[in-house]
Amino acid sequence: MRVTESDRVPNNYVKALVMLEDFLNQAMANKEAKKKMSSSNAKALNSMKQKLKKNNKQYEELINKCRETPESFEDQEEAEEVSEDEEDDDTGSDIDDPTKVDSGSESEEDNDEEKDETEPGWERMMNKKDKLMEKQFKDPSQVTWDIVNKKFKEIVAARGRKGTGRLELVEQLTFLTRVAKTPAQKLEILFSVVSAQFDVNPGLSGHMPINVWKKCVQNMLVILDILAQYPNILVDDSVEPDENETQKGADFKDTIRIWGNMAAFLEKVDVEFFKSLQCIDPHTREYVERLRDEPLFFVLAQNVQEYLERVGDHKAAAKVALRLVELVYYKPQEVYDAMRKLSEQSDGVESGEESESKAVEETRGPTAFVISPEIVPRKPTFPESSRALMDMLVSLIYKHGDERTKARAMLCDIYHHAILDEFSTSRDLLLMSHLQDNVQHMDISTQILFNRSMAQLGLCAFRAGLIAEGHGCLSELYLGGRVKELLAQGVSQSRYHEKTPEQERLERRRQMPYHMHINLELLEAVHLISAMLLEVPNMAANSHDARRKVISKTLRRLLEVSERQTFTGPPENVRDHVMAATRALTKGDFQKSFDVINSLDVWRLLRNREKVLEMLKDKIKEEALRTYLFTYSSCYETLKLEQLSEMFDLSTYQTHCTVSKMMINDELHASWDQPTQCIVFHEVEHSRLQALAFQFTEKLTVLAESNERAIEARLGGGGLESLPSRRREGQDYASVAGGTKWQDNTSSYSQGRVGSSGGRSGYGNGRAFGPGQTYRGRGGYQQQSSRFQDSTGSAYGRNNNYQGGGSTTMGSRDGSSRMVSLNRGIRT
Amino acid sequence: MAMAKYDLTPRIAPNLDRHLVFPLLEFTQERELYPNDQILKAKIELLNNTNMVDYAMDIHKSLYHTEDVPQDMVDRRVEVVARLKSLEEAAAPLVTFLQNPKAVQELRADKQYNLQMLNEHYQIGPEQIEALYQYAKFQFECGNYSGAADYLYQYRALCTNAERSLSALWGKLAAEILMQNWDIALEELNRLKDIIDSKNFSSSLNQVQSRIWLMHWSLFIFFNHDNGRTQIIDLFNQDKYLNAIQTNAPHLLRYLATAFIVNKKRRPQFKEFIKVIQQEQHSFADPITEFLACVYVNFDFEGAQKKMKECEDVILNDPFLGKRVEESNYTVVPLKDEFLENARLFIFETYCKIHERIDMGVLAEKLNLNYEDAERWILNLIRTSKLDAKIDTQTGTVVMEPNHPNVYEQLIDHTKGLSGRTYKLVSQLLENSQAQAAR
Repeated sequence: MRVTESDRVPNNYVKALVMLEDFLNQAMANKEAKKKMSSSNAKALNSMKQKLKKNNKQYEELINKCRETPESFEDQEEAEEVSEDEEDDDTGSDIDDPTKVDSGSESEEDNDEEKDETEPGWERMMNKKDKLMEKQFKDPSQVTWDIVNKKFKEIVAARGRKGTGRLELVEQLTFLTRVAKTPAQKLEILFSVVSAQFDVNPGLSGHMPINVWKKCVQNMLVILDILAQYPNILVDDSVEPDENETQKGADFKDTIRIWGNMAAFLEKVDVEFFKSLQCIDPHTREYVERLRDEPLFFVLAQNVQEYLERVGDHKAAAKVALRLVELVYYKPQEVYDAMRKLSEQSDGVESGEESESKAVEETRGPTAFVISPEIVPRKPTFPESSRALMDMLVSLIYKHGDERTKARAMLCDIYHHAILDEFSTSRDLLLMSHLQDNVQHMDISTQILFNRSMAQLGLCAFRAGLIAEGHGCLSELYLGGRVKELLAQGVSQSRYHEKTPEQERLERRRQMPYHMHINLELLEAVHLISAMLLEVPNMAANSHDARRKVISKTLRRLLEVSERQTFTGPPENVRDHVMAATRALTKGDFQKSFDVINSLDVWRLLRNREKVLEMLKDKIKEEALRTYLFTYSSCYETLKLEQLSEMFDLSTYQTHCTVSKMMINDELHASWDQPTQCIVFHEVEHSRLQALAFQFTEKLTVLAESNERAIEARLGGGGLESLPSRRREGQDYASVAGGTKWQDNTSSYSQGRVGSSGGRSGYGNGRAFGPGQTYRGRGGYQQQSSRFQDSTGSAYGRNNNYQGGGSTTMGSRDGSSRMVSLNRGIRT
Repeated sequence: MAMAKYDLTPRIAPNLDRHLVFPLLEFTQERELYPNDQILKAKIELLNNTNMVDYAMDIHKSLYHTEDVPQDMVDRRVEVVARLKSLEEAAAPLVTFLQNPKAVQELRADKQYNLQMLNEHYQIGPEQIEALYQYAKFQFECGNYSGAADYLYQYRALCTNAERSLSALWGKLAAEILMQNWDIALEELNRLKDIIDSKNFSSSLNQVQSRIWLMHWSLFIFFNHDNGRTQIIDLFNQDKYLNAIQTNAPHLLRYLATAFIVNKKRRPQFKEFIKVIQQEQHSFADPITEFLACVYVNFDFEGAQKKMKECEDVILNDPFLGKRVEESNYTVVPLKDEFLENARLFIFETYCKIHERIDMGVLAEKLNLNYEDAERWILNLIRTSKLDAKIDTQTGTVVMEPNHPNVYEQLIDHTKGLSGRTYKLVSQLLENSQAQAAR
């Protein structure tokens, strides 16, 4: 019920309650009638009794008052009735041409005047006709605080009632602000104006009309002006202020309490702004125009934040700061500069306009009783770089914000760092915050933000040439084929299940406005290319059992599909391009592979395009070399370094490094012959019997491990923590066996132990073991968790295993357990 | 200045006690890394907040070549002396008690008992004990470290306030370091470490900061104590400490890296450490860590060789690494030689792993040795069976013995543990079922 938002319960309601109570008592008293009642009626009566009792408790005081002096209620009610009549008239004319309304309602107005001679004549000002208003307020001495207050209460009471025009209400209240007698009263009315303006918006899905939004912002600024002028006025929404609090005048020195919540208002303004951007077609001029209002919101938010800091409400200030952060975080420096420039330019124009309109208003309406000079700045202040602004806001939030605010600010911070090509900072922030671990438990909009940050981080890693990291960040997004949904950049149609309209509506409300979108083609290109660079040599290395180690499932699947095609046409979309490049790379044809990728036109979106392509070319060459060696090493006895470097257009130094790395990592069974600069390949192919023997031992190990796990699960793990597993390879099993030994070996073993419990909890969540996963995967996970042990909660713990343990696992396993899938959130 | 390029003093100093910075400044002064005037000025600044006014006066004289001393220094001296007097008086009862060996014998291991006894027999209450702390602190600030160490030791025996006790321990550690009592200092260090690791610190931030301080202070001990190089790895390479290093003090990686290179005992952890270095490349790099990156990440042996030369400079100019020992007529830096020897071995080891045949001349060049030395060196390695290779003098090459893991060995390796594990599994199962039956 909207009425509850206003300060006072309408008299009619109280009266009705009294009557109902009386009637109920009467009905209850009539025992005989009660007995005769049908069961359903008796039930209804009973529940009525209970409900009324519960409800009346809230208004006990008023009811008592009404019983004592029914006349006073009667009296007020009459006045209200009259006003209601008028309102009814007004709403009818709401939609019509305003001039027509004027003439139409004027006559009625006159009638009213005649009828209610006894009432003070100011009532008709709600018909918002300047002429009449002027008439009413010709003599300002007539207008008292009481009159204004009473009228105000009436209007507020009418709010939300059927047949009350929402715009009308705003107009009425706006007029009242002009005749308000004290600053406090003006403030109170202004608050109502703002909330009435929020009501103008017809439904949840639509957005507030833009002109109303602008006016609303102006009103908020006026509120801030008043608050700055009279620091003794406190805005508070926790306590119901005294009825006559606003009577205290400008010269009143003590604190005056006014109901209101600036932070909540500001958030609402932001939400409306966001919604309007969601709804407007991004390809129209309207959208651009709307975007230009950003500085307007910016200045308001800055002022509100300043105000909240002044009154010491840091928590709310942090919330407001978050709104600012969310306005800035996705803007690269160029866009940010543009916004700065825009705000500077438009300000000059706007201020001129403003003063003009103000002058008009001044002459039109009666001069306001309480004049509030513009105190708070109307011009946003932007630091030179967006980073400086972010740093300022974010550090404020970290200091005072609540959990959600902090998490969101952190994600925005990560996103922004990633945009500025600061991969390591961004990565460290992500790892230090432990957001990956608990983002599943956050609300969907935060999860979307997380996904967007991950996407941006992936792009950043790619630009920096960190292919594996980039792939790790992006692969999860592409796993389900629902990128659009995960990034809230459009709805993907699924063939398999229909969405209910409810779900669809929810989804639409989560969408990002167009100007915040991450380019999906670029994202896909980056993801597929990194997958290609990792997967092609990997496939070549494990050609005998292809299923064994898959880095990118997505790429494999796409490759299968494209291989099944009978004819391969020239590539059209991103996917085709990468497939063509992959085919070329598999054959070791780096030049063709690069050319195909180079022909993608998404690269023009990159700032340092030349550099990235150069890096990409180097990487492709290197991977082509590796692929070649994997595939054809068995055909060579020796291979000259020069020849290799010529084949792949690499410097001998690079070739040497790459080949050496492969040798050290046991990927290539060969060694250098230094005097002749040749690679000598060793014959280490296992015979069939040997290979089978290896497979056999591997299976045995798996068997032993599954036994161990089974027992562990059975016995609850208590005494079995010390069970050795493969990850502790190379350690003497016997020495680890005894439970007592564990305590003695402090450093390395205890780490393993802490880890193993972490591993088990992971097991419970069903994420550590998939059917095909070996124990080693668990090892990686465990180490990770033990590393976190010490630093949980501290802003300082850093996961140094990101690359350590992660370098083997990050891509596939680890990533998957920690990245978020929105799936759960959407379904529930 | 070129030599000062890798100087870490500015990064280390904020994590040290004022008094501990002096040895560093002395060292930089000796090495002439910075203009002398600058160092002297820095020293005065340091001294301004201590009570070593006389020393400050001396430096002032030598800096400005005058006999005059600014008035505020003179004033401060008077003030310090006065305060020393008053503190001495306050702590006098307890000090006299402690200097009386007979009386000290009355003390027992029980703290409560001691306090009560002191209070009853000697009228020594909490105020006097507190005064002892203040007195010790003042002594320390005046530069009387041995006195301070003694008093702090006594104070810790009587103190009941954990916070105070901790800060007394820090004071004791600093004093012992400054007196160069490495053994005792190491004991104190371990005591402090236990407290830091166990204590429920008010915030984890605080704990991390304490760890960082501890590590910085420990540098003094570890690079002077005989067994320090192993212990530095044991301390720094713990996850908690490594985390702290990575987040807040990446420059400490230099010392850990050096310790790893010099120390042969801690090879298993070495691989992990390489990854850390790789990861921290962006936040800290100096020749020593770059050397490791060259050898183990990029396999860039020429780069490694260049870095090795730079490392020499770094070590000579580092106050902790470049400790000099006087040997008869000339001074040597023992760590430098050790470092170079081991670094050479690192390069060689990795190089051999990926080569079958190496030209001796190239090898000698890579190892920063001349041909004969290189041959002798390799010969030595082969003789001590560290290297599985032969020298072919005719072509002037070293030929590695092909080293393929035997298939059978591999198979045995794979299965060796299985029976043991299964056996244990069964016994555990039995144990459990017996335990259940007994219940």
